Amino acid sequence: MAAEGTTAELAAPSSRRELSEPDGAAETVAVPLPGTEARLRPSRRRRGRQLVVSYLLTVFVLITANFALPRALPGDPVDALLSGESPHYVHSDVIRAQLNEYYGLDLPLWDQYRKYLGDLATGELGTSIRYNVPVAQLVAERLPWTLLLLSTSITLAIMIGWVTGVNSAWRRGRLADRGLLTLFLGVHSFPVFFVGSLALFAFGVKLGWVPLAGTRTYFATAGGALEAVRDVAHHLVLPALVLALQFATSQYLNMRASMVGELGSDYLLAGRAKGLRERRIKYRYAARNALLPVVAVTGVHIGAAVTQSILVETVFAYQGLGRLTFDAVAFRDYPTLQACFLVLTLVVVTANFAADAVNARLDPRVRA
Amino acid sequence: MSTARSPMVVAGGGILLALVAGAVLAPQLAPYRPEVLAGGALQAPSGRHLLGTNHLGQDIFSQILWGGRDSLTVGAGAASLAVVAGTLVGVGAGLIGGMADTVAMRVVDVFLGIPRLPLLILVAAMVGANRVSLIVVIAAMTWPVVARMLRSRTMSLRQRGFVSAARGFGGGIGYVMARHLVPALGPLVISSFILVAANAVLLEASLAFLGLGDPSGSSWGLMLNKALLQPGLYFTPVWLWWVLPAGFAITAAVLGLSFLGVGLEPLVNRRWDVNR
Repeated sequence: MAAEGTTAELAAPSSRRELSEPDGAAETVAVPLPGTEARLRPSRRRRGRQLVVSYLLTVFVLITANFALPRALPGDPVDALLSGESPHYVHSDVIRAQLNEYYGLDLPLWDQYRKYLGDLATGELGTSIRYNVPVAQLVAERLPWTLLLLSTSITLAIMIGWVTGVNSAWRRGRLADRGLLTLFLGVHSFPVFFVGSLALFAFGVKLGWVPLAGTRTYFATAGGALEAVRDVAHHLVLPALVLALQFATSQYLNMRASMVGELGSDYLLAGRAKGLRERRIKYRYAARNALLPVVAVTGVHIGAAVTQSILVETVFAYQGLGRLTFDAVAFRDYPTLQACFLVLTLVVVTANFAADAVNARLDPRVRA
Repeated sequence: MSTARSPMVVAGGGILLALVAGAVLAPQLAPYRPEVLAGGALQAPSGRHLLGTNHLGQDIFSQILWGGRDSLTVGAGAASLAVVAGTLVGVGAGLIGGMADTVAMRVVDVFLGIPRLPLLILVAAMVGANRVSLIVVIAAMTWPVVARMLRSRTMSLRQRGFVSAARGFGGGIGYVMARHLVPALGPLVISSFILVAANAVLLEASLAFLGLGDPSGSSWGLMLNKALLQPGLYFTPVWLWWVLPAGFAITAAVLGLSFLGVGLEPLVNRRWDVNR
C-alpha cells in the first residue's frame, strides 16, 4: 500500500513536481523497517520504465483526444463545414451524406478509429480546407520555423536566466537583485502577445531595427546564401527575444532561489579560504550545485514556451505552426487545426519526457 | 489580521476592486454602449472620447469598461467551476485513498502533462466561443491543478492527531470534513481560486486574441485581436489608444490577482504541522 503510493508519486511527469507540496507526499509513506528500504524505493530501471509508460499513456490520450473531440463535442465537423460561418456555405442533405461518406463518418466508430490510426501512422493528416493541399505538407513546411524559433529562444532564455539568476542571488537584497526581481516579475504578468506588440512598436516601428512581420523576405534574389541567413536571423531576433524573456523569467526565479540556498554553504567558505577567485567560487562551485533543481523544472517550462510560441508567432506573423494554428482558426480549417494541435502537443510532451529522462540521469537522489 | 493588511493584499485588492467596479458600473460610467458607433473612425483621444475610437468608430474607453464584464466573468466563472471540481476530486481522492486515489491522480497527471492552450484552441474552435462554453472549457483544463494541491493537503491532514482523534471518538467522515477539514483547507481553496482565476483571465485573453472570444462581447483580448489585425496599425498613433488600454487592462487583472495571491500566502502556509 505504502509502496504503491511511493511509486505513484515518483512516476508522475515533472509537471507535478512543481505543483505538489513537499509536505503532502511524504506523509503517505510509512517509515520503512530496516532492510526494506530497497524494496520500497523504486530502482533506477523501474523509474525509467515508469517514465516511458507515463509518456506513452499521454501520447495515447492525445492521439485519441484528437480523434474523439470532434466526434464528442456538440456540432460535428460536417456541421461546421456547412455552417453559415464557413467560407463555403452549401446546404443540402445530399451534400451532407456525401461529405459523411467522404470523411468515413458513416462507418462504425471502431472502424473510424482504426482508419484514423492507420492514416496517422503513414503521415496522412487529411487535406487543408483553406489551401486544398495535404495538411502533412503544410506542417512539414511550417514545423522547421517553429523549431528554429523555439530552440533559439530557449537557448537565449537559459543563458539570460542562469546568468542573471546566479548574480542576483550572489548580491541578494541589494539594488541589482531587487531591480532584476521586480523586472522579471513585472514582465511575467504581461501577456506575451502584449509584450510582443510593445516590442514590435518600439524596435520595429520607432527604431526600425527589425522587420515588422514574417519569417524571411520573399522574392529576395539578390545576395547569396550568406545574405539569406542574415535575412532569416533578422526576422528571427525579436520574436525569439520576446519568447525568451518569458521563458527566462522562470529560469531566473528558479536559479535565484536555488542559488540562495547554496550561499551559506561551508564549501564556499572553504573555497574562499583557499584563496580562489570570486568568479570561480560563484560559477564553478555555487552555481554548479544550484543547477540541479533548475534543470528539473525546465521541461515544464519548455512546454509553456511551446504554448506561448503560438501567441508570439501570431503577433509577429512568423510563419510557423503557431501562425498556421491562428490562420486555421480564422478560416475554420479543421483538418489543419487538428494537425497543429497534435504536432504541438506531441512536441511539448516529448520535451517534458526528455527533460525528465535527463533529470533522472543527472540527479543522484531521483536516480536512487 | 496583519496578513489582510499587507501592502501586497492592499495593492492587489485595490486593483481588482477598481476593475470589478468599472465592469459592474459600466452602464453608469461608460459614456456609450460598447457596440454603438459613437463617432468617426480612429479618432484620437479627446473630451468626447477619452481613449479615442476604433476602426468602426466605437468608443474605446466604453469598450474597456464593458470588456471587463466579459473578461472578468469568464475568469471568475472558470475559476469557481475549476475550484469546485478540483476540491471534490482532490479531497475525495485524499480521503478515500486506494484505487480511487490512484486512478484520480493518474487522470490529473495526464491532464497536467497536456499543454493547455493548444487543447483549448481546438475545443473552443469546435464548440464555438461564447461566455458559457469558454467558462466550461477553461475550467475543464484548470481543475487538475486544484485537485493536486488539495489532495496533497488532505493527505497530510488525514494523518494529523486531531483527525484521528475525531475519528476515534466516533466522528463520521461527513462530520470530520465539516468540522476539521473544511476550516483547515479553506485558505488553500481561496488561494487556489486566485491562482486559477489569474490563469483563466490570461487564457481567455489568449483565446480571444487568437480570435476565439465571445463575438457578441468586447473582451480585452478580443479588442487586441481586432486591433492587431488592422493593416498598417503600427504606422499610425492609433496604436497608442487602441492596443495599450486593452493590454494594460489584462495585465492589471493578472497583476492584481498575483499580488493578492502572494500577499495571502502566509495565511495558506500557516503551519498546521507545528503542533503535530
